[in-house]
Amino acid sequence: MKSLGLYIHIPFCLKKCNYCDFLSLGGMSEEDHAAYTEALLVELEHYADRNISLDSVYIGGGTPSLLDPGLISRVVQRVQSCFTISEEAEITIEANPGLLDKNKLTTYRGAGINRLSIGAQSLNNEILKLLGRVHDREEFVRNFHLARECGFENISVDLIFAIPGQTHDIWMDSLEKTIDLGPEHISFYSLQIEEETPFYDLWKKGELKPVDDQGDRAMYHSAIDRLQSSGYRHYEISNAAKPGYESRHNLKYWSMDEYLGVGLGAHSYIDGRRFSNETDLSRYIRIAKEKNCAGRRQGASPWTIWFHENTVEGEMSEFMFTGLRKVEGIRLSDYEKRFALPVTAVYGDPINKHIETGLLEIDEKADRLRLTAKGIDLFNRVLVDFV
Amino acid sequence: MDQYQNQIRNFCIIAHIDHGKSTLADRLLETTGVVAHREMKEQFLDNMDIERERGITIKLQTTRLNYQAKDGKEYIFNLIDTPGHVDFTYEVSRSLAACEGAVLVVDATQGVEAQTVANVYLALDENLEIFPVINKIDLASADPDAAKAEIEEVLGIDASEAPLISAKEGTNIEEVLEGVIRHIPAPGGDPEGKLKALIFDSYYDNYRGVVIYTRVFDGEIKEGDLIKLMSTNKKYEVTEVGVFAPGPTPVKRLRAGEVGYICAGIKQVADARVGDTITLDNDPADAPLPGYKKMQSMVYCGIYPAEGEKYESVREALEKLQLNDAAFMFEPETSTALGFGFRCGFLGLLHMEIIVERLEREFDLSIITTSPSVTYKVVTKDGRELMIQNPSNLPPQNEIDHIEEPLVKADIMIPKEYVGSIMEICQERRGVMTHMEYITENRVALHYEMPLNEVIYDFFDALKSKTKGYGSLDYEMLRYEKSNLVKMDILLNKELVDAFSMIVHESKAYSRGRYVCEKLKELIPMHQFEIPIQAAIGQKVIARETVKAYRKDVIAKCYGGDISRKKKLLEKQKEGKRRMRQFGRVEVPQEAFTAVLKYDENKK
Repeated sequence: MKSLGLYIHIPFCLKKCNYCDFLSLGGMSEEDHAAYTEALLVELEHYADRNISLDSVYIGGGTPSLLDPGLISRVVQRVQSCFTISEEAEITIEANPGLLDKNKLTTYRGAGINRLSIGAQSLNNEILKLLGRVHDREEFVRNFHLARECGFENISVDLIFAIPGQTHDIWMDSLEKTIDLGPEHISFYSLQIEEETPFYDLWKKGELKPVDDQGDRAMYHSAIDRLQSSGYRHYEISNAAKPGYESRHNLKYWSMDEYLGVGLGAHSYIDGRRFSNETDLSRYIRIAKEKNCAGRRQGASPWTIWFHENTVEGEMSEFMFTGLRKVEGIRLSDYEKRFALPVTAVYGDPINKHIETGLLEIDEKADRLRLTAKGIDLFNRVLVDFV
Repeated sequence: MDQYQNQIRNFCIIAHIDHGKSTLADRLLETTGVVAHREMKEQFLDNMDIERERGITIKLQTTRLNYQAKDGKEYIFNLIDTPGHVDFTYEVSRSLAACEGAVLVVDATQGVEAQTVANVYLALDENLEIFPVINKIDLASADPDAAKAEIEEVLGIDASEAPLISAKEGTNIEEVLEGVIRHIPAPGGDPEGKLKALIFDSYYDNYRGVVIYTRVFDGEIKEGDLIKLMSTNKKYEVTEVGVFAPGPTPVKRLRAGEVGYICAGIKQVADARVGDTITLDNDPADAPLPGYKKMQSMVYCGIYPAEGEKYESVREALEKLQLNDAAFMFEPETSTALGFGFRCGFLGLLHMEIIVERLEREFDLSIITTSPSVTYKVVTKDGRELMIQNPSNLPPQNEIDHIEEPLVKADIMIPKEYVGSIMEICQERRGVMTHMEYITENRVALHYEMPLNEVIYDFFDALKSKTKGYGSLDYEMLRYEKSNLVKMDILLNKELVDAFSMIVHESKAYSRGRYVCEKLKELIPMHQFEIPIQAAIGQKVIARETVKAYRKDVIAKCYGGDISRKKKLLEKQKEGKRRMRQFGRVEVPQEAFTAVLKYDENKK
């Protein structure tokens, strides 16, 4: 039996946030949502195989919680009928505060969803406004408690720091208030100003002054200290969790485990191949209606628009740059098992170089190669020598 | 004059950049059927990529056209193209010497400009007939009458019969061809006389050896002739004689008045120098044609293989370039910072840039060039005279009695409104004005004596920038003169990088040092540690900047859909690193070596 993680993309938002460059569409109708869900069901059917065991399912977006919960139920039911879901499976849905209610939450639970990832981003209303979020702090707090009442025992909260105008104190206040709520998992992202976002335009015009690197790192390091002293384990560059609550699904990305992505623009990694789906909504739906496979590359689906077969070197470098995102790093024996070569035989030079620069450390006894605290801040500088 | 000569016209085209020289040449080729329209790449004559991109002609291309004229006779036109930059003035003058006339192209929207004036004067020096044509009449802003008036006023050339053409659209091209017959004299010369043929260009061909472009003035030359080059007295047997139509096409012989090529088993272009005279060994001419000069390198720089590039590949490429470029010289040298490389000599900065670009593009080499330098004469206390081209070879300060630097005579032509600002930049560059004259009511010639190291540094760029491109410059070597020069070193992270060392006038050391430090600060990326950049004379630090240490370079998010994209970002970052050169612990981008020399108006 093949074990996979499944990612399902819901590309809709009430409105797009000012910093977001994800594949999501604002202002679509309920009919669009329904038509898309139908197409999604067809795509799931395409991969149907009871011999595939899913140990994680992740419904992400966009804003999955925007959809009528009945649609989400149907999607999960289809997943259940197409694949074998392992007993311990982690099934996550992403939700935005302000779009949650009792009905939605109980429907999710009823469908078997056992993990909720809430995009709070900040607990400061002015910052939320600047980000272009549709909710405020009070709504987030109410939603959080409601989710607990509805039986969610595994909740993750997303936060963003280094937002223009956000002081160190404002950031730490948001973090404190989040920790006080006691979520099992917290993601904390340094804001990146991405091209083709309103933030980018403002920044180009000089109307948005990014937090400098020094300020950014101060916020980051303070956050890690605070999280650790509150019983969270910092396990990936931007993620911390109470022991045992690390995101099983996301860990697949950082351990080069296989995953299937369905939905608009979703990416998959199976059998050493990376491929991704159509990104145009109406074309995605049309393909589902026609299921026209002509002209598509072998090994992928009718929705595939990009397909790449990794070379061994490609696999190796991806193993390094995803694996070293984990704070505990990579297991030396994992590398050797996977590639039949010790990692030092392939990457001896860059490893030695960065042990010397103090960015990397090797611990043979613990069977680990990992970044130092400084190395995490300079992740790209290290990993550039591994691609 | 012999009958056949009546039906020959040898001419070139003179124009300012962008006034349409190459387009007109293309159109002439097309109209006379030399190149079919569908085969034409744009601007056939400029066949080097670099030329095409910069819109300037560097290497001469010569083509023979057969034209059936309205008088019923068939004419042979030899179109000799000329380069258009101060570095190549001598080459221009030699190709002009091969002509009887020049077609002067003036843009109907722009009028007469600096470069045009300089080249027209060169043409008049060679006693050429000038036949003006007004181009770009298809444009809405065209003012042909004003253009004509300017030609008459500024150049003193009758423009009343100038055809109004559009080379782009192909309008009135025939009038140009007919005008060439009417306005440009047929060549003279005695076909029975003793052979005198001018070398006005040459190139190296893998199969034929050196191909010489020649204009025969007297006598005739044919296959099997034993020839002698009059400046070197070297003898060769002619293996092929031909014309460019437009590819090399063998003919029986070339007679007085004709233009074509010869091959004679010559191994490198340096043996067939532009301006030299070819004659017959057994019946030589009494005197060579006038005007021969041996081209001399004026500017030197180091060329080194970049990280990961092979020394041998660079050497082979330099050898190949030299086969084709008599003005380019090189010899091996070493640098503590850059390892094994070459000291190379050029006619000027543009010539240097062209060679560097060709190494990168045509030979796909990754190289580093060091600060350009001139040849200094160093007189030591024990009375020795050393000629130094590489600042690193300067003897210790306490052994030097004095240093002399080359001075040039610089002739600058500008519209009068720029006189003030140009005098200022000349003064800044230690120029001394010898005299100034009005050429026309609006145009002024300034004559300066100026140290060559100031001219090569950024003078030409500054002149162009200050005069909106209307200024032109010509310079020639004058003499060596004692000067207060010092060697300025650059230290990165406290370590001297010899490739950045330069010799500067003491009065300029502070500002130059500050500028180089600032520029390097801009170009050197942040490292894990702070990097002091210092300029020093001997032990004395005269300028300092610091590249701060970076604190953060990390991708915040990397989930399923990000992996391929983020990997590409890292690969791009790696590509950037590949172009870095490691000095101690400091990585310096290769472009830093030339960037510190560029004229930057904002920094003055």
